[in-house]
Amino acid sequence: MALEDVCKSRSRAKPASLLDFDVPVAECLQENPPRSGTPQNPLPFEMSHGTTTLAFTFQGGVLAAGDTRSSCSGRVSCPDAEKVKPIHSHLVATSSGTSADCTLWKRILARELRLYQLRHGRRVSTGGAAKLLWHMLLPFKGTKLCVATTLCGWDESGPAIFYVHSDGRRLRGTLFSVGSGSPYAYAVLDQAVESGMTAEEATRVAREAVYRATHRDAYSGNCVDIYLVTSTGWTRREREDLKEEYYRERKNLARPRSAHPKPALNETSMIEWSQPHPSKT
Amino acid sequence: MSIMSYNGGAVMAMRGKNCVAIASDRRFGIQAQMVTTDFEKLFPMGERLFIGLAGLATDVQTVSQRLKFRLNLYELKEGRQIKPKTFMSMVSNLLYERRFGPYYIEPVIAGLDPKTFEPFICSLDLIGCPMVTEDFVVSGTCSEQMYGMCESLWEPDLEPEDLFETISQAMLNALDRDALSGMGVVVHVIEKDKITKRSLKARMD
Repeated sequence: MALEDVCKSRSRAKPASLLDFDVPVAECLQENPPRSGTPQNPLPFEMSHGTTTLAFTFQGGVLAAGDTRSSCSGRVSCPDAEKVKPIHSHLVATSSGTSADCTLWKRILARELRLYQLRHGRRVSTGGAAKLLWHMLLPFKGTKLCVATTLCGWDESGPAIFYVHSDGRRLRGTLFSVGSGSPYAYAVLDQAVESGMTAEEATRVAREAVYRATHRDAYSGNCVDIYLVTSTGWTRREREDLKEEYYRERKNLARPRSAHPKPALNETSMIEWSQPHPSKT
Repeated sequence: MSIMSYNGGAVMAMRGKNCVAIASDRRFGIQAQMVTTDFEKLFPMGERLFIGLAGLATDVQTVSQRLKFRLNLYELKEGRQIKPKTFMSMVSNLLYERRFGPYYIEPVIAGLDPKTFEPFICSLDLIGCPMVTEDFVVSGTCSEQMYGMCESLWEPDLEPEDLFETISQAMLNALDRDALSGMGVVVHVIEKDKITKRSLKARMD
């Protein structure tokens, strides 16, 4: 098959085993050992690290969101980067850390998952994909490679989020936020995320979390991307520029309060934060 | 992290026809975290004289206050307003006093001569080297972006309204490419008979 030739897989003399993953990148480390990024040999310039991405599960599936600012040493190098990208029809990955590393490793992961699917007729589970990514990143532990991604997917056991970091962490959870803006996002998510939310509420919370993080964090900003993964696959909300959000909010706050205050609407309604959130013990 | 980019910030001044304009951003942050969006970086030092200070925020406040003190004494002794060129020398002297432990600011001065109303702009480095230009001066964490914007947008002999538009566009677009500056822009346009202060609607991220 053409794809197998391109990927230089072994010939199909024996039936493919379930552990048949081709990971050529480990060899490239012997051919080209890392020369820069060590104390003796510092990097020529600082790699990009700032971002705000988040993911959480609720009754309607998994929601993944991120900002779109890619920064490098204080300069905004790309105001419309894509930090949340689909890997396959039921798996979406957020990326944080070094942009180049994340882009490439997502592609490598997508390739390996697709090959597995072609060989064995079924998709890898979200946990399995996370383990595969962790395994592929293992040879690079201790180098300056920096990938911090949350894999958000829907498999046979339902929705799942796995956080994978290039330093070897692989964690399963229901709520994650990654990046320099994550403390601000956690503040919004921790008070508003409930498992019984609707998809619309979840979208609003994610959007609010990213907006607050972009406002406070210097290295997060520009637009917000939101993906929703359900049993039928992922859907994407149109990228929204958060430029006007601050002024819209100021206008809302300046209006006199009535018994049933109606916020100014765009396509997505704003949540009214004036009522105190019912506390849970 | 560099000391000059610890708090972030950007100021710029442009010269027009019988007028000058000076602008700054409004962010005060501590490295990545924004703390307030109403931090003053432009200070009036005379009826038609402004200084803009970009750099470490504590030095911005200290230098502006110490400078005002010296300026008040000058005006009392001389009985008149200071000329912009003399003020530039005063700033230069204040900064050079700290030659081996400097204030981490890079000031920008814009004003009109009190008698002839001749427009004047200049900038200084952190140890007081003055640089007088005929077109524009920039200072701050996004100075490269601001230089690019000014070079392409500025033209000589702009009227006050056009000068305001030019400096606004230059600031807004330069700030959008800098993570450590932004959160609003303040522009002062200084003419012979009036000073117009405007706040621009900018990206708040």
